[in-house]
Amino acid sequence: MEEGGFRVDPVTIDTTKIKTAKKKPVTALEKLEDTGLINTVLAAREREGLILFSTIDQIFNWARLSSLWPVSSGLACCAIEMMATAMAHHDIARFGMEIFRASPRQADLMFVAGTVTKRMAPRVKQLYEMMPDPKWVIAVGSCASTGGPYIESYSVLKGVDLIIPVDVYIPGCPPRPEAWLYGIIQLREKIKNEGYGAKWGLNK
Amino acid sequence: MNAAEELKQKLPAAVVSTGMQVNKPMAVIKKEELLNAARKVKEMGFDHLSVITGTDYKDHFEVVYNFFSYNNKHNLVLKVIADHDKPEVDSLTSLWKGADWLERETYDLVGIKFRGHPNLIRILLPDGWNGHPLRKDYDMNTEQFVTVGENGDDIVSPDGTNLLRRK
Amino acid sequence: METDELIINMGPVHPSTHGVLRFKLRMDGEIIKECTPVLGYLHRGTEKLGEMKTYLQFIPYTDRLDYMSAFPNNYAYVKAVEELAGIEVPLRAEYIRVITMELNRIVNHLVSIGSLLLDLGASTMIMWGFRERENALQLFEKLCGARMTFNYIKPGGVREDIPEGFIPQLNEFLKDMEKRIEDYEQLINSNEIFLMRMKNIGVISAEDAINYGMTGPTLRGSGVDYDLRKYEPYSIYPDLDFKACVRDECDSYARYIVRIEEMKESLHILRQVVDTIPEAKIVSNPKYGVAPMTGTPSAVSTYFPRIFTPPTGEVYSRIEAPKGELGFYIASDGTTKPYRVKIRSPSFCNLTAIPKMVQGLKIPDLIAAFGTIDVVLGDVDR
Repeated sequence: MEEGGFRVDPVTIDTTKIKTAKKKPVTALEKLEDTGLINTVLAAREREGLILFSTIDQIFNWARLSSLWPVSSGLACCAIEMMATAMAHHDIARFGMEIFRASPRQADLMFVAGTVTKRMAPRVKQLYEMMPDPKWVIAVGSCASTGGPYIESYSVLKGVDLIIPVDVYIPGCPPRPEAWLYGIIQLREKIKNEGYGAKWGLNK
Repeated sequence: MNAAEELKQKLPAAVVSTGMQVNKPMAVIKKEELLNAARKVKEMGFDHLSVITGTDYKDHFEVVYNFFSYNNKHNLVLKVIADHDKPEVDSLTSLWKGADWLERETYDLVGIKFRGHPNLIRILLPDGWNGHPLRKDYDMNTEQFVTVGENGDDIVSPDGTNLLRRK
Repeated sequence: METDELIINMGPVHPSTHGVLRFKLRMDGEIIKECTPVLGYLHRGTEKLGEMKTYLQFIPYTDRLDYMSAFPNNYAYVKAVEELAGIEVPLRAEYIRVITMELNRIVNHLVSIGSLLLDLGASTMIMWGFRERENALQLFEKLCGARMTFNYIKPGGVREDIPEGFIPQLNEFLKDMEKRIEDYEQLINSNEIFLMRMKNIGVISAEDAINYGMTGPTLRGSGVDYDLRKYEPYSIYPDLDFKACVRDECDSYARYIVRIEEMKESLHILRQVVDTIPEAKIVSNPKYGVAPMTGTPSAVSTYFPRIFTPPTGEVYSRIEAPKGELGFYIASDGTTKPYRVKIRSPSFCNLTAIPKMVQGLKIPDLIAAFGTIDVVLGDVDR
């Protein structure tokens, strides 16, 4: 866990000895297990008391993906669909994302919503650099992904991934709010599997 | 008698020829007489300067002014022909404040200079951009990148290494 | 007390600049001494692309100029091409065009008023505005499959006839909208805070507005009775009964009221159009668009040939878009591509007056005045 500033030593766990209970969740621990978000909770039931073994990755990832705060910066047409996604009809609040932060210092997700022109590119990059780690970027629409219809233009950058790393691309010109939501779900899946645990096969 | 012919009657020295731009009367004006003609046009009641268009015709530039009169509901088009080597026409900012940005835009994209403009700098592209994109000989193959300097100003260079993640 | 001058930079990433506009403000304490808008952060080179694309290929780019109201953008360009080539348009197509444009005017004003109120700190209106916008977008989707960027209006007609069930749904929308506008007025019009933020803020006189080239609701808010739909009529507007909405307070409140009134007028226009739309199912000029397949009338999609060569010449054609006068200047050299496309965008010209309007005001007033000008940066920077 570099990002969180933690370092977790790997623990060898014999997974064959774990019995998984398939009954209706009653206690808080069981309910937590049942959410599926912490799907490798290793509860040592033989021990006295309630001890929960998990990876710090998973706890962090769960917390991170459950309330992504996007930075409120729209560049072009797609920003209007971003507003539509945030409004009541499509309701981005279901993902804990309704708080669009005006300052990149308080945000951990950036929607690059629209055409990135040559003149705007350094500003977009600066905005990205101002965001604290961990941070994610979704390139929305064909302009941000590749340059889109403006790829032949003299003043348009051919994809925002030339200047900043992108996690999820959402195609469309502009993408429908449903496509935005699907893109957000994909990003959540991605975040779920981040960290060292994923490399060691513990998050499966 | 349409507005273009009326203008020709009033200023015979300034008007080269009259014609129609589809359904709008058009007068071709001598480059030197543009400001005089525009003043006359404003006196004739054309209070709305709709648009200024500069076009590169390879051997010359054309600057087209579309006027409209709110009172009489008439259109009038003025056209000025500028040299290709040294495109320069008079600025109309003293008569229409709205001409300010329209002329800056024409300067920015087509590269026509407006004499007497108070602040003739680029408006859409950053300062230091090489070339005027709407000219027919603009080099579309050379990429230009913009970075931000210490004081927040744009710096244009063909080298994008500070900006790009990879080549 | 003497204070130092302070330069404040606002934007290009700022929640209330409606995109990527930047203001350089020279402040004396809290008072704006000088406001310099810095544009071009969304300059996409549309005019150059116009020279590189054929006449029909350019239509999708017009969608993306003023993306809040794409139908009028489509129409303005197509109207210019039609004037250039002298194309006649079937009556039913004109009716459909007017339906789309007036619906789009409502959508534009909803978002405009909503984001104005959001900038002022009231978030109810934007929720309501987008709720009704969603209903209108469903109509657009039914019509042409897209929500924001349509590519629907073509030289000589429209791409498709209106589908079955469209008119009843439109009628429902109109009925609903009438009540909603009353709601908005109850919510906003007499709100004390709103009035204090709006009245006598961003004042611009009629002479100045004309001199700066302002058009549309911003001009009518300054008391100039001018609406291109009425006084330089195009399409079927001469046959319709409506009025130009004018207020003479010249301030931000007047511009807001003009937008509310225009929405009502648009509903009025739409009701007339729905009642009188011609039955004949011809939606494109057979010379320029042919229907390659037959079937149920609603399934007929018109095929427009890609190559299209208007005669040599030049044309400047303008319409009353929701934001103001939108004009296209096209010079043709008789080939398949325009020689020059110039876009006279309403936002760009209206924005010219901002430095004049906000001089001596405070920064929150700049946001209020700027919100009532209703610019879209795609339209400003092109």
